[in-house]
Amino acid sequence: MSWRLRTPRVLVVDLDGSRGSAVRARTGSMVACEGEVSFKDAGIGGGGGLRAALKQRVAGESLPLMEVSGRGSVHLAVEAGHVLLLELAGEVLRVESESLLCLSEGLRTDVAFTGLRGASSGQGLFTTSVTGHGRVALLSLGGPPIALRVTPRTPLVVDPDAYVGCLGEVRQSFVTDVSWRAVVGESSGEAFSLRFEGSGTVFVQPEERR
Amino acid sequence: MSVEPLDPSTLPEHDNLPGNAHAYCVRLTGPLFVQTGRMIAHYPAGGGTIRFEPLTATSLGTLVAERFSSPLYSRDWVVANGQGHVLLGDRGYDINSYDLDEGNLTVRAANLLAFDAGLELKESIVPGFLTLIGTGRFLASSSGPVIFVEPPVRVDPEALVGWADCPAPALHFDAGWMGHFLGAARGALFGTRSGEERQYDFTGAGTVLLQSSERLREDPHALRRLEGEVRQLGPGALQQLQAVVQQQLAEHQQQQR
Repeated sequence: MSWRLRTPRVLVVDLDGSRGSAVRARTGSMVACEGEVSFKDAGIGGGGGLRAALKQRVAGESLPLMEVSGRGSVHLAVEAGHVLLLELAGEVLRVESESLLCLSEGLRTDVAFTGLRGASSGQGLFTTSVTGHGRVALLSLGGPPIALRVTPRTPLVVDPDAYVGCLGEVRQSFVTDVSWRAVVGESSGEAFSLRFEGSGTVFVQPEERR
Repeated sequence: MSVEPLDPSTLPEHDNLPGNAHAYCVRLTGPLFVQTGRMIAHYPAGGGTIRFEPLTATSLGTLVAERFSSPLYSRDWVVANGQGHVLLGDRGYDINSYDLDEGNLTVRAANLLAFDAGLELKESIVPGFLTLIGTGRFLASSSGPVIFVEPPVRVDPEALVGWADCPAPALHFDAGWMGHFLGAARGALFGTRSGEERQYDFTGAGTVLLQSSERLREDPHALRRLEGEVRQLGPGALQQLQAVVQQQLAEHQQQQR
C-alpha cells in the first residue's frame, strides 16, 4: 500500500491488487487512474453498514464514498483542496464528512453525535468518526491545513465553517454568544462557535464553507 | 502533507502562519475591528474569553463611533476584545499586513479583514471601497499575491485591491467603445460590451495595489446604497425609475420563460 502526494492538492494511491491496498474514497474525487482499477459505490452509509446509514439519515451527515480496488494507481482531488495525510493507530478521528477524501481498508466510519445546540439545526451537530488502524486523507479548502494543539491550559474556539476535524481526547461544546446572535440574519456572521477542551489536535482550513 | 500542530507558544504574534499565506494570526493587545466571517479560530488566553461584539451592541460604543465612520458597513463588522490569539482567513485569498504611519489607504471592502483601533475607517467615494486613515495596522486579502504599481495607470475594476496616497481614480471608458456609444442609438447600447471598456484611471503620486483576479460576489451593499440615493429623487424622477424597474423585471421574466 503506497500513498503519496503528487502535488499538495493531488493524492496518488497505488493499488497492488491485495485486499489491504483497497481504499474508500470520496465519490467523484477520481481525477485520473492507470491500470485495472474498479470503482464501486460503497453502499449504504458509505460502507459503515445499516446502523450507520440509519443514523446518517437521521443526522443529515451524508458520507458519499466509493470503494476503489484492483491493480494500478488512482489520482484523487476535490476542488483544488490541500490534502492532509494522517496515520491512525487506534485513536478516534472526528471529521466533517465533506472534508474526508480517502481512507484505507480496515478503518471504520460511523456517525458521532457531538452535542445539543438549541432548536435550529446546522453544521457540527453530527460528525463522522473514523476509528481503527490505517491511513486517512483529509481536505483543506483555501490553503494548507492548520493544525492547532489543544491542552487543558489552552482551550480553542473554532468557527464551524472553517472546522475540518479533531484527533485525540478533546471535548467539544457549542458556544452561543448572545452578541453574535444579534447579527445573524443580517450577515454571514458566526451564530455560534465550537469550543474544544482536553488534549488533542484540531484541524481547520483557511476558507469558510458557504 | 502532514502538519506540526501550533499552539499559543508557537503561533506568531502578528504574522502569517508558517508556510501558509492564506491564514494570519494576531495576538490581541487592544480592540481589533474584524469583518464577520473572517475569524476561523481563536485561543483565549489565561482562562478568559475573547469577546466578539457587534458594533451596535458593544461596551466600546464611544471608541466605535469615533473609529468606524460607515453606517453602510456597520453590520458586517464586530469588535474583538480580550487576551489571546485570533486566526483569520478569507476565501483562501493571500493575506497581508499593512502598516500605516499617519497615512491613508483605500481598500476594497470585501478584502479588508481587520484593523486596529489606531486607524479610522471611512467610506470611500468609490462604491465598494473603504478608506483607512491614521497610524496602525490592518489586514487585507488579495486573490494571489498583491502587485504594486505606480500611477499613471489604468486598471480593471475587478483587479483593484486598493490605493494609497494618490487621488481617487476617475472612470475611463475605452475610446473605441465610446465612439460606438456615441454613434449608436440609445437602446442598442448594451450589446456592445467587451467587459474591458470600463477602467479606473489613476494619476498623481502614490501606489496602486492589484490582484490577479476577483471571484465576484453579489454586492449586498449595492441595494442599500441605491435605497439611500432613491430618497433624493422627486416624484417625477421616481415615476421614471419605476418604469425602468418594471421594464427590467419584465425582461428577467422573459428570459426565464
